[in-house]
Amino acid sequence: MHVRVWVIAAGFLLSGLGGVGAYFLPVLQTATSSGAVSGSVSDLNRVDPPTTPFNVLLLGSDDDSKFAPDRLNTQSMIVLRVDPTTKQATMLSIPRDLWVPIPDQGVGKISTAYQVGGAQAAIAAVESNFKIHIDDYVWIGLNGLVSLVNKLGGVNIQITNPVMDDFYPADLSATDDPYRWYRVAVLPGPQHLDGVQALQYVRSRHGDIRGDFARSERQQQLLLAIKAQSSHLNVADLPALASAFDGEIKTSISVDRLRALMSIANDYTGGNIHRILLVPPYTSEGWAAGQSVVFADWSQILPLVQKNFA
Amino acid sequence: MRWLVGVGLVVAMLVFGIGVYHAIGFLKGGRPAVHKPNEESVTPLPGTMYVIQQGALYRFQHGNFTQLTPESGYMQPAVDPRGGRLAVVQRKQNYSDLYLVSTSGKVITQLTQDSSPQVESNHWSFYPRFSPDGSRLFFDFDPKDGYNDYKVDLAIFAGPPDAAASSSVQWSYPNDYTGGDVDPLPLRNGSLVYVKYSIDLQFQVHSQVWLQKKAATDGVPLTASDLDCGQAALSPDEKQIAMVCRKSSNTSNELDVASFDSTTGQLGPPTTLVSGVLAASPTFSPDGKTVVFLAPATAGAGFQLWTAPASGSSRATRVTFDLGLDASSTPVWVG
Repeated sequence: MHVRVWVIAAGFLLSGLGGVGAYFLPVLQTATSSGAVSGSVSDLNRVDPPTTPFNVLLLGSDDDSKFAPDRLNTQSMIVLRVDPTTKQATMLSIPRDLWVPIPDQGVGKISTAYQVGGAQAAIAAVESNFKIHIDDYVWIGLNGLVSLVNKLGGVNIQITNPVMDDFYPADLSATDDPYRWYRVAVLPGPQHLDGVQALQYVRSRHGDIRGDFARSERQQQLLLAIKAQSSHLNVADLPALASAFDGEIKTSISVDRLRALMSIANDYTGGNIHRILLVPPYTSEGWAAGQSVVFADWSQILPLVQKNFA
Repeated sequence: MRWLVGVGLVVAMLVFGIGVYHAIGFLKGGRPAVHKPNEESVTPLPGTMYVIQQGALYRFQHGNFTQLTPESGYMQPAVDPRGGRLAVVQRKQNYSDLYLVSTSGKVITQLTQDSSPQVESNHWSFYPRFSPDGSRLFFDFDPKDGYNDYKVDLAIFAGPPDAAASSSVQWSYPNDYTGGDVDPLPLRNGSLVYVKYSIDLQFQVHSQVWLQKKAATDGVPLTASDLDCGQAALSPDEKQIAMVCRKSSNTSNELDVASFDSTTGQLGPPTTLVSGVLAASPTFSPDGKTVVFLAPATAGAGFQLWTAPASGSSRATRVTFDLGLDASSTPVWVG
């Protein structure tokens, strides 16, 4: 009888240890790759930190019920370049209304490339117009961003001026009428924002004279805040984070690649992350095909991009 | 029968293992611990302070916090210098209203009626602040543009405290599409210090501490536009101004104190109390010797109370440790 009790207890113990091991296995693997634990578990799947510069296209879409899931625009497009050798990173926000030739689609707003051809079309539009190579992409939807920020426990942001919007779309919930709206007032100064508030901050544009450019600046600011807030995370947190997104994040980055990137993430702490907005004189606002658009001055943009992203 | 028990045990073991996996995920993925203020006992500060967390008003006295209102969207308390009551904002989704409440948190009067069934016809009221003699209440309000519903800029108004909405006068006229003017600080001589925003031709946002002598006049900046100063606080003797200056940074700022001559409108060279942080909402102690402010201890953490000598003679000291105070609500510190 006593033997059976011990066997059952040992079974539960082993099962529990299995659960612990499954959760922390990625940590051990990353530890080996970053050299923190040298040699002791060398048979685990080793990943090497990146050593050459790479570009990631970050895409954000309004994916509420106003839009068919496979017909989304990208409201936000940011190219992030990371250079592990110089330990410098640069973010370039691309205006969503930038009027450009889109491969296989004709001329249109760059935000529509994703609508027709998904991430590959968005990448092709960026590569062909900005003359740079994109290595990977990450796409996130509205609820994905809210979940991400909430999972991180909120973010601290320095609000530069009051963000006021009387026509902010009330489209987060699938059961709500996506054509309704509500009022937003994000007050100035440092604030701790939850996911919904952070989304309001980066999505609102009606009350700011800079319109979409203000949004782009706030989106870069939120990325930095997310980076700062996630600095305490390690790969063992990825299962819990991933489960929160429910398809609201898509990426070409593999788990091994993500582990490799996380091993260098703390090298970038804000001071070595540079931000570029294509405000005038790089761009100018106008009309094309009956739409309000943004025209590029490529003679000024391309040297800037080549200097920072090529 | 025995094999059924065996299978049941194996299943239970597997469920246990999966449960352990998810339990670790829950514990590691959870938010940093944020406690309610009344769950925390801290080093006492002299006098009485009012702060906001999660939409509730708290009184801080003798090292303990007492919750005065439910968590119902309350923010930005201001004390009537004649004593006995506070003005406070109650914020809802599409509007906010000003209330007078007793020092125990009981509502005395609703001062504004900002709600409307039509979303864009609602209004915001923020930043209530009594004049030093208590005869007027200054506050922010969003006067709507009848021609363009997208233009929503906060402007500063003032009126008698008990009839602030009906008899108020517009003091400031904000720059269009900047979000507006905020943080009114009425002076004894009838002038007003506040924060004005502007956006330059390079699309850079600037904030400046501004001085205005009378309602609806132009006023003058007290700080240069490239310093991006805001969140100003006046010392009780009105001879110093504390302010948060971000100097073009969107990720950190510094808390400065400068001498101030309210007669000439001159601001002296600033002394930096803290820098490289996210300092917010400073205010002076009743004796003017200490500045209390809010800031997170680590990146992304909740905002805590800190104190620093107004002279800048020593480093800032953290007062609270596990709170999540509302950084847009300046603590009120009275004797």
